[in-house]
Amino acid sequence: MTRNAVTATDEAAKRNTDIQGKDTSLARRDLFRVAGLGVGALGAVAAGVTATGGAAEAAPAETASTGYRETDHVRKVYEVSRF
Amino acid sequence: MPLSCVSGRSLRRVSRAVDHTVPPAIAEEELFRAQVYALLARLLARAPDGAFLTALGELAGEGGEFGAALEQLAEAARGSDPAAVDEEFTTLFIGVGGSERTPYGSFYLTGFLNEKPLAELRADMARLGIARADGVSEPEDHVAALCEMMAGLIVGEFAPEDGGIVGLDGQRTFFDRHIGSWAGRFFADLETSPSARFYRAVGAVGRSFLAVEARAFDLAA
Repeated sequence: MTRNAVTATDEAAKRNTDIQGKDTSLARRDLFRVAGLGVGALGAVAAGVTATGGAAEAAPAETASTGYRETDHVRKVYEVSRF
Repeated sequence: MPLSCVSGRSLRRVSRAVDHTVPPAIAEEELFRAQVYALLARLLARAPDGAFLTALGELAGEGGEFGAALEQLAEAARGSDPAAVDEEFTTLFIGVGGSERTPYGSFYLTGFLNEKPLAELRADMARLGIARADGVSEPEDHVAALCEMMAGLIVGEFAPEDGGIVGLDGQRTFFDRHIGSWAGRFFADLETSPSARFYRAVGAVGRSFLAVEARAFDLAA
């Protein structure tokens, strides 16, 4: 089957909303919050990158040489470790 | 500059002839998990330099055991100088005549490097479209590589064989098979390593994070 953007997005949405999905997502969110995994907690590390010279902007959107796919999500994740 | 030079990543996405996958929609707490994994991967792959230590020193926990561990990491970063942390890293993980800790899944699970757990990991990596980056020779079951894999799986960075998205169930399977059975012990060992100072705090962050991960996966079961 040829996959396209719509089916993949549907699958992602389905993953979060099927039968138990919504409860699961909420329960996980609560657990992470109580455990101290607040989404702002790593801000200092991510912000440090921007402050030290914009490495994020310098990186090409797609790095064919390494085979990485650089999406916004991937970029956000690796901002915390780009030192 | 290639991204791998900036971030020192040890993995790459397998190229597939047809690639119609698009990035999955990700809730912000799931993205945060990926960031924690990426942070652990970075700290366990090589010692932080001065700029990184400064940034780590500004971390603020948001309550809970994990939050307390982050605060502890920030405090450790503020009280450490790069040269000392570099030396500590070498003693802990590289040391001449045997390092203090051996952060490989195979070693923790069998007592030897490159045993069956590594072979099983490689099979799963192939299925999930994860390959070792060019020039990386370390076995893939290094704790830093495994954390990097989890981060990539969460944000949909790799190219699974079936073209599908690796959802929570798939992430859980990977976690249970390759991380959950030993990495908590490794982080606890790191916390009590005689030579560890800064890395004690890294151990606490890793241990408390993996404990939350395991509980959160149970909620999704």
